[in-house]
Amino acid sequence: MPRRIAVIATVYRYLSHAQHIGDRFLVGYPIAGEWHHPDVKVVSLYVDQKPENDLSAQRAKEFGFTVYPTIAEALRCGGDKLAVDAVLTVAEHGDYPRNKKGQILYPRYEFFKQVVDVFEKDGRVVPVYNDKNLSYDFKKAKWMVEAGHRMKFPMLAGSSLPVTWRLPDIELPLGCEIEEALMVGVGGSDAMDYHALEAMQCMIERRKGGETGVKSVQLITGDAVWKAGREGRWSRDLLEAALSRSDTPLGLTLKDGRTQDLLANGTLQKLVKDPWAYFIEHNDGLHTTLLMLNGAIKDFNFAARVKGIPQIQSNQFLLTPEPNVTYSACLVSKIEEMFATGKAPYPVERTLMVSGILDSCLTSKYEGQKRLETPYLQVRYQAPKKSQRAHE
Amino acid sequence: MTRREMLAAMLASAAGPTAWAKVASARGQGNRRPRIAAVTTIFFKYSHTQHIVDRFLLGYGWNSTWHHPPIDLVGLYVDEVEKNDLSRERAKEFPTMKIYPTIAETLTLGGSKLAVDGVLLIGEHGNYPRNKIGQKLFPRYQFFEQIVKVFKSSGRVVPVYNDKHLSWNWDWARKMYDTSRQMGFPFMAGSSLPVTWRTPSFEMPSQGQVREAVCVAYGGVDSYDFHALETLQCMVERRKGGERGVKWLQAYRGEDFWKAYQEGVWSKDLMKSALCRSHTLTPARPTFNDIFPTDDEMRRLVKDPVAYHYEHLDGVRCTMLLMNGLVQDFNFAARIDGRPGIFSTQMYLPMPPARTTLANFFSPLVHHMEKMILTGRTSYPVERTLLTTGLTAAGMESLYRKARYETPHLNIRYHSTKESTFWRT
Repeated sequence: MPRRIAVIATVYRYLSHAQHIGDRFLVGYPIAGEWHHPDVKVVSLYVDQKPENDLSAQRAKEFGFTVYPTIAEALRCGGDKLAVDAVLTVAEHGDYPRNKKGQILYPRYEFFKQVVDVFEKDGRVVPVYNDKNLSYDFKKAKWMVEAGHRMKFPMLAGSSLPVTWRLPDIELPLGCEIEEALMVGVGGSDAMDYHALEAMQCMIERRKGGETGVKSVQLITGDAVWKAGREGRWSRDLLEAALSRSDTPLGLTLKDGRTQDLLANGTLQKLVKDPWAYFIEHNDGLHTTLLMLNGAIKDFNFAARVKGIPQIQSNQFLLTPEPNVTYSACLVSKIEEMFATGKAPYPVERTLMVSGILDSCLTSKYEGQKRLETPYLQVRYQAPKKSQRAHE
Repeated sequence: MTRREMLAAMLASAAGPTAWAKVASARGQGNRRPRIAAVTTIFFKYSHTQHIVDRFLLGYGWNSTWHHPPIDLVGLYVDEVEKNDLSRERAKEFPTMKIYPTIAETLTLGGSKLAVDGVLLIGEHGNYPRNKIGQKLFPRYQFFEQIVKVFKSSGRVVPVYNDKHLSWNWDWARKMYDTSRQMGFPFMAGSSLPVTWRTPSFEMPSQGQVREAVCVAYGGVDSYDFHALETLQCMVERRKGGERGVKWLQAYRGEDFWKAYQEGVWSKDLMKSALCRSHTLTPARPTFNDIFPTDDEMRRLVKDPVAYHYEHLDGVRCTMLLMNGLVQDFNFAARIDGRPGIFSTQMYLPMPPARTTLANFFSPLVHHMEKMILTGRTSYPVERTLLTTGLTAAGMESLYRKARYETPHLNIRYHSTKESTFWRT
């Protein structure tokens, strides 16, 4: 018997996360050189918003499931008891307001709470996947993870960047000593900085002692970012290494196709009008930096200095092109694994950590870009032993 | 016997890099940075010339740093200068690189003797006529002959890199190869497909017994078919016994392609596995972003499919499939004895302008050129490209004749390098 799953989504339109993740449970997906059909049956769907290009009714008709008006009904398939074996929550995209910190108020916590209510009332739990960060608000995110532990249901969350292909195909050795790490990302906040932070987190969590939480953060923007670089607050060498992995320099490359050393002759400063730097100080003393460099490149690249390895370790997180966005197939295979085994292939604490880092960075920016002590970010976890990147 | 004749005789009798090494040490390089010349058809944005020459002039991202090749590109020949030309602009920006009106002057830097330590022959793009079977008559052989003429008159040889396949004309291609062997200079050629990233980063097991291999690719004949053939060859050449050559090739196009597909001329399973490595599978149905097509949907999407199906002398069968409309990448699949399932990967090209801004698959290619110029050793055997050159021409012949093309001339034997030469760092 295939596992019965409920899909809880903000919006189900072409190329929304719900569509490209949800559809893979309907039509299969490419993995390890095969077209894989999960042993899963989507039995119910809840969508919060139905824009003109909504696909929910069309999919329900073709694949024989029902769209329910509430989350509880979707989980109970119209009956009076939880009637699914797993819940897939994809609350990305859709029309939601932003708060004063610039965070889009996706109702992930609100959806999750309704799922948990059904679990509590019906006295049964099933695995839950939550797409991207948990909640824009760390307190709510923490409640979500604690609910999972309290009620003992498997939970997985996060971005597809940690599980996509890497160029080159590297993984940091488990238990290594990381001296410094830097990530370069692009796109808007608070969507794309989240992806970049989680990409960095999946690399640095493999360090000796695992993740022990974050002491302070600071988000600065504009010329202060370059000044911080000159003062050695972020490493020029690590930035050079990260940029050496980029396939998408802008500026003169767009004009005549040339390769560009973006760090030479102030090119980077010319291209990036509004740089953002996210400084993260971990409890174990590790300092990491995310630079969002819109205008310079269009891909996501990581670099770290690891004790005992002479060369800087760096890679691109390959975001394969639209419309296939096959990186989401890599993610779905992890979700399917949790649905099948009841075990999350990597800890949801990673996503909790990053949700908290981003929320705190945006608070720092809102409060005048000042350094923010984060005693509440006491998130401890160990990285999975097995590498979860796409490599087979 | 003059000194020049003596040298020529010595070169003719010696084999490969050894002769070159002797010559190189005899001439005494000192500590001077090696200088090279590029002999090209045309130089515009995103042309092969631009990708390669710019990497020597400006450097490129490599192994966590910005890498400046320790080599000076000092001479440039451009056969066609069109409105979109970049060569004049680049020569102005980089005064150490001079443009010369002839190949001989480019190699002698305007003097009377060969004055460079390596030559890049980039005969891709440009307005050249096509022959009756549809081959574009790129002057790679003619350029090569002029390069060799300077070598002969100077009594000295240097390494040569030839971009893409050798010549469209088999006899000329063979002559290029034979000349390089007779004169004993390092000669490397080919596509960037064998040296680019792979997703997954798999190498073909050395000494495995391959039974059948397939490459699903895109692009035109006499162009991207060559890249797909190199994709296949860089993998199957690692098989037990090495390469021994190809017996015959049969091309299929249009309805003949679908008939052959239905009849199982090549393995449907291998084709499907290769398609499952693609990052660019055209969705056959609206509103779906990634869905595997049915046979009928494939036929609807691919208006002009092309297959080159060929048999090696040891019985291994390979099929190169150009499926425009269905994919826009290069995917490989093979069945290997003793290995369960299908072995497959994608040779990943960060391809501008839709997906990237830089064609960084030229970086590992330039890296291998640098290595050859610095060490006098080629990273992989030019016989691979001699064979794929012959296969490309055989494909065009077979398409033109609508018949199987016997290839007794492609009895090319060689062994692959033990070490992997694709991009992994």
